Amino acid sequence: MNREKVVFSFFMILALTLNFGFFTGEVDNPSHHNVYELFAVIVVNLIATVLKFGDRSQMGAMLLATSLVALVQLFSASIVWAYVVNIQGHPMTAGTMSTIISLSGGAMIANFISVILLIIETSMMRH
Amino acid sequence: MSLVTSLIMRQMRIPIIILIMGYAISILGMVVSPGIDDQGNPWHMSFFDAFYFVSFTATTIGFGEIPYTLTNAQRTWALITIYLTVVAWFYSLGKIISLVQDPLFREALKERLFTQQLERIPDTFILICGFGETGHALAKALTERNIHTVVIDESSRIIQTLPLEDFPLLIPGFKGDARDPEHLIRAGLQNKKCAAIIAVTASDETNLKIAVTSKLLHPEICVVCRSELEEFESNMFSFGTDFVVNPFETFANIFAMAMHSPALHLLYDWLTGVPDTDLSNPVYVKDGHWIICGFGRFGSELYRQLLKSNVQVTIIDPSEAKREIFLNRPENKNNDFIIGTGFDAHTLTIAGVTKAVGLVSGTDNDSNNLSIIMTARELNPELFIVARHNKKSNEKLFAATRANLIMQPSEIIARKIRTLLVSPLMISFLNKARNQDASWANVTISRIMGAMGESVPNIWTLHVNEKEARALCQVLRLGRVLRVGNLLQNPRQKEHQIAAVPLMLKRNQKFLLMPTNDIAIKSGDQILFCGTPGAHRSMTWSQNDIHSLNYIMTYEDAPDSFIWRKFHQFIKRNERRHRPRQKRHLMK
Repeated sequence: MNREKVVFSFFMILALTLNFGFFTGEVDNPSHHNVYELFAVIVVNLIATVLKFGDRSQMGAMLLATSLVALVQLFSASIVWAYVVNIQGHPMTAGTMSTIISLSGGAMIANFISVILLIIETSMMRH
Repeated sequence: MSLVTSLIMRQMRIPIIILIMGYAISILGMVVSPGIDDQGNPWHMSFFDAFYFVSFTATTIGFGEIPYTLTNAQRTWALITIYLTVVAWFYSLGKIISLVQDPLFREALKERLFTQQLERIPDTFILICGFGETGHALAKALTERNIHTVVIDESSRIIQTLPLEDFPLLIPGFKGDARDPEHLIRAGLQNKKCAAIIAVTASDETNLKIAVTSKLLHPEICVVCRSELEEFESNMFSFGTDFVVNPFETFANIFAMAMHSPALHLLYDWLTGVPDTDLSNPVYVKDGHWIICGFGRFGSELYRQLLKSNVQVTIIDPSEAKREIFLNRPENKNNDFIIGTGFDAHTLTIAGVTKAVGLVSGTDNDSNNLSIIMTARELNPELFIVARHNKKSNEKLFAATRANLIMQPSEIIARKIRTLLVSPLMISFLNKARNQDASWANVTISRIMGAMGESVPNIWTLHVNEKEARALCQVLRLGRVLRVGNLLQNPRQKEHQIAAVPLMLKRNQKFLLMPTNDIAIKSGDQILFCGTPGAHRSMTWSQNDIHSLNYIMTYEDAPDSFIWRKFHQFIKRNERRHRPRQKRHLMK
C-alpha cells in the first residue's frame, strides 16, 4: 500500500463527497445549503489541487486541470456569496442561492471527472 | 511541465498544504467563536470577516479588532490564529529559501537556462568540446563571423565565466564531461541545429571518444578533431571523422611552404588570418645548416620537411634511445645527433651554431625554448629561428624574442579549423595554390594588396542558388549574361569597383583559380572571394536585390512600382519618337 496514494485519493474523494453534500437539496432554498460545507469543500479542494503539483505525467496534468476547474467554480460561488451578503448587505435570496448552487454543481462535475480519472489510473496499474 | 517548475511544485506541496490548513482552522475557529456586536447582541463573524481578520493577522499587518471589539472567546482563538499562521508562513518561507539554495535545484535552473539559450539560436550552431586556449580562440573567431557556438567543458569555473567574456554572440555553456554521451546529448549533439562538433580537449583519448559518439549518434554532422599522436589520428579517420587536425604536422607543412615559396606562405598567412588585423610580412627561410633542439613530435615533423629539401641538419636531444634509432636509419647518414639539452652555449657551439642558418627550439618546455633562443642569438645574431610556444601565457615573451616563425599549437589548430568551417572552398584553393609557381603567388599577392591595402581580408563564398542569391538567379533565368566582373562593380557608385578579389570558381566539381572578369556565371557556381567587410556587404546586397543588380549590369535605375514603370516606358517611347533619325541610327 502506498501512503501517498491513500492521502491523495482521500482528499480527492472527500472533495467530491463534500461537494455533493453541499449541492444536494432544493436549488433555491438557502436552508438546504450550509455555508460551513462550502468552506470545507473549498479547503479540501485546495489541498487536493496542491497534492497534484509536480506530477509530470499526462494523467497528472489532467488531474491538475480538473482540480483547477473545480477551484475556479467554487471561488466564483464563494465570491457571489460574499458579494451579496457581506458587501451589498442583502439577506440571502433564492436567486442568489441558485446561482451559488449551480456554480458548485459545475465544480462537482469537475471533481467527479477527477475521481473517474483516478479510478482509471488505478485500474491501469497491473499489481 | 519543465523540470524546474515540477521541482518547485513538488517541494512546495507540504508548505502550501500547511498554510491552507492553518488558514482553514483559523477561519473556521473565528467563525464559530461567539462574539457581541456594538449593541450587545450575540454575533458571529461571517466567513468573509473571518478571512479578512485571519489574512491581516497571519501576515503580521494587524489592523486590530474589526468590525467589533472581540470577546474573550474570540481573543483566545485569535491567539491560536496568530501562532498557527505566523509559524506556517515562516515554515513556508524557510522552505522556499532552502529550495533556492539546493544544489540540485540550481543545477536544474542552469540546465533550463542553457536549453532556453539553445532554443533561441536561430539557425545552426557548432558544438565545441573543451574550452581551453584552442576552444577559446575558435569560439571567438566563429562568433565574430556570426556563427553560433555552444561550449561543453568539465570545469564549472570556465562555464561560469563564459557569459562574462566579450564575445559578439552569446555562447551557451554546458558543464559536463564530453566523454559521457549523455552529457553530449544534453549539450545539443542530437539537436537538429547542430551542424558540426569540434573536439579540442587536451587529451587525444577524449577527442577520440567524442568523435566516436558523434559519428554514432548524429552521423550527418561534421566532426573535427584535434590530435597530437599518430595512432589516434588514424583511429579517428577509420570511422569517418571528417577532419583531424594535428598541430605539429600542420605547422611542419606551413614551414615547408615558407621554405619552398615565401610568396605562397604569405598568401596562406593572409587568407587564413584573423580579418582586419595587419597584414604580415614575408618570411624568407634560408638554405644551409639547420639545428633542431628537441626531437619530439615537433622536432621530428620539421626534420622530415628539412630532409626533403636536402639541407644539413644537426639534432640536439637528451635522449640516448632516440639517438640510436636516428643513427640506424639510412636516410639520416648525412646528419648529426648530439646528446644534450641545447640551452648551453657549449652544446650549441659543438652543433655548429655559428655557421648555421636556422635553429628550431622545439622542446615541450617554454623556459627551455626561450633559453635556447637567447643563447643561440648571442652566438649567432643572424640565425633564422623557429620557436615552439606551448603555453599561451608566455605569448609576450615569445613575441619579444622576435623569432622568425612561432608555432603555438592552439593558434595553429584554431586557424586550421576556422578555415575548414568558415570557408571550406579555401582549403581547395590553398591545395591548388600549392601547385602553382612563385610568380603566380606574387601576382595574386599584389592583386590582394591592391584591393585590400594593409589589413587581412575577409573571406566569403558566393553560392549562386535561389536561397543565397535570389536576384542573381532571377537574372540568369531571364537568359542575361552575368560576368564575374559585374559582381565587382559597386552598386552605389557607377564605374567604381568594390574592394574584392575573386580567388576561385567551383563549377561541377571543377576548380578554376583566379577567375577573370569576363567569365560568365552559371547557376550552381560557387565563387570564393576575399575583400573588405564593406565589399562583402555590397556584394550580398547586389546578389539579393534585383534593382542593385540591374544597376551594376546596366547602370540605369529601373523603376519599381506599376505606375512609375508605365510612366518610365512612356517617357522612353517619347524619347525614341522625338529623337532625330540619324542620331538614333548612330546610337545603334
